[in-house]
Amino acid sequence: MKAVLSSPAANRLPVMMAGLALASLLIAPLVGLPSNVIRLLLVTLLWVATSLAWNLLGGVAGQVSFGFAVFYGLGAYTAAFAINAGVNPYLAFVVGGLVATLGSVLIGIPTFRLRGPYFAIATIGVNEAVRIVMSNLEITGGASGYRLMMIGRFSQVEHYYTALALAALAFLASWYLMRSPFGLALRAVREDEDAAADVGVHPFHCKLAVHALSAFLTGMAGGAFVRYTAYIHPDGVFSFATSISILLMSVIGGLGTLLGPVIGAIVYSIVQEEMVVNFPQFHLLLYGTLLILIVLFEPGGLVGLARRIARGVDGRMRRGLPLGKVGS
Amino acid sequence: MGLADLFNLLASAVLLAGIYTAMSIGMTVIYGVMKMVNLAHAGFMMLGAYFAYELSQRTPIDPLLAAVLAVPLFFLLGIATYWSMVRRVPVADVPTLPSLLLLFGLWLVLQNIGYAIWGADDRSILTPLTMATFRFAGITIPIIRLIVFGIALLSLVSLHVFLTRSWFGRAVRALTQNREAGQLVGIDTQRTAMLTFGLGIAFTGLAGALLATLYSFTPDFGGSFMLRSFVIIVLGGLESFSGVAIGAVIVALIETFSILVVPASYQLAISFILLVVALLVLPGGIEGLLQGRRRLR
Repeated sequence: MKAVLSSPAANRLPVMMAGLALASLLIAPLVGLPSNVIRLLLVTLLWVATSLAWNLLGGVAGQVSFGFAVFYGLGAYTAAFAINAGVNPYLAFVVGGLVATLGSVLIGIPTFRLRGPYFAIATIGVNEAVRIVMSNLEITGGASGYRLMMIGRFSQVEHYYTALALAALAFLASWYLMRSPFGLALRAVREDEDAAADVGVHPFHCKLAVHALSAFLTGMAGGAFVRYTAYIHPDGVFSFATSISILLMSVIGGLGTLLGPVIGAIVYSIVQEEMVVNFPQFHLLLYGTLLILIVLFEPGGLVGLARRIARGVDGRMRRGLPLGKVGS
Repeated sequence: MGLADLFNLLASAVLLAGIYTAMSIGMTVIYGVMKMVNLAHAGFMMLGAYFAYELSQRTPIDPLLAAVLAVPLFFLLGIATYWSMVRRVPVADVPTLPSLLLLFGLWLVLQNIGYAIWGADDRSILTPLTMATFRFAGITIPIIRLIVFGIALLSLVSLHVFLTRSWFGRAVRALTQNREAGQLVGIDTQRTAMLTFGLGIAFTGLAGALLATLYSFTPDFGGSFMLRSFVIIVLGGLESFSGVAIGAVIVALIETFSILVVPASYQLAISFILLVVALLVLPGGIEGLLQGRRRLR
């Protein structure tokens, strides 16, 4: 089973799909789509980048974090300060990513002393502590938020391509990492830390490194987000709800897979778009229900479900059975 | 700071510790038997708070009596939750991620059902005793806190008696110490786990209802209390009742006296920082403490 999934043919499929998706996304703004659609695509792409970044730590390395809003917020605020200080926006994103990375190391050094589930709980504490401190700090604008000075003309297309570039970067990084020896080491840490340590993997270093990479990508996405919206406040970007959203996308899509976080982010963004307008309180209800159903019935998320259906169809076709009830 | 102030703070810390113990004990019994961190703790506390609120609004029942009435109801609710969901996730000697995610999802669902029913408005429960105080040798104690403390203490004592004197209690303690050995001597783990989950939720509902008489609440209620509970059971060594009381006293003291040095707006952050610190002062995580190994990496 495992061998089939990791065969070259199975590995090429996501890459081909990604290529196709990238091509259509590149021409999307040029075919005259309404700006509302472009906005939805842009937001989706930023979530894709963030969710892929989270998945490196939470899915591949198995360290579920409830605290990614910290990096999103740090990146957003740093980029906002830098842009207001006159720094080139793209450089500002990188600086935002670097500050988030620094934050990840400071958080990771103590918290990665803890094993998986305890790490997860500690991150809840970290996230809330950071949010409260940030809401009270003078420089974040406190509860009234922080506004970005707009220099030059507002170009939605430019923001769109920035988001696309970030999502592509996160996708490439994930794709490369999952195939690399480092990715293998991370999986080993996920399956059994002690066994991984016995075969020469340093779990602590591995976790710190992938945490830093995830935080860097998340911070950059935060930076791109603030440049687009031009306004942030601590209870938004640093909120626990942001952390939950980031986590949910990967879990819904399929933990530890390459396509899972992408699909999860797309589902999340579309649902968010529809739900927030009509039923502001209910989107978390939906996600909570989804989380329960996924844990109980399909821990592989949507990608797992698709695989199961594909296997069922495949098996039935081979055995010459009618395609009635699919799945197991 | 005068001596009277000091005693006032001490008295309120002790009263706080009582309610903190009651709210953490539910998490401890569940952790002990099932090795699950109940992330839906906050959701059940919130439901407990609204249960007391609704009952005291719609009927002449006193909110404090309503809190006691929450116990049997939440016991059944816990059993239903266990039967429909919790028993389907794998258990191990340490918390598993599926259990964490499941209970977290349940928290989201409960919280948003709360929003759907009661909206986002702040609610509070006023009892005839809310404003009354009790003065003794320069110490002022709100009577409601004293009563809440009393109920919490009483329920803890009855739980203790129950766990030490009944066969069910023996099974709970046996499974807490060693799950496999418990199974070997013929304990019905499924049934014990179900009743324990019910018991844990019953205490959580009670604590939520009691807290609701002291603080205002929204469907968001309970998140910070849940993390405090976790700090407390970590400090207490996770599975021992006396440990929970000690942990509760430590947290209550730190929170009460930090008012003197930390600005009020940062107050909330303390329990969260405490959570991280509590997890960290035990090298190698919680397992390290459980096995008495203080191993530094």
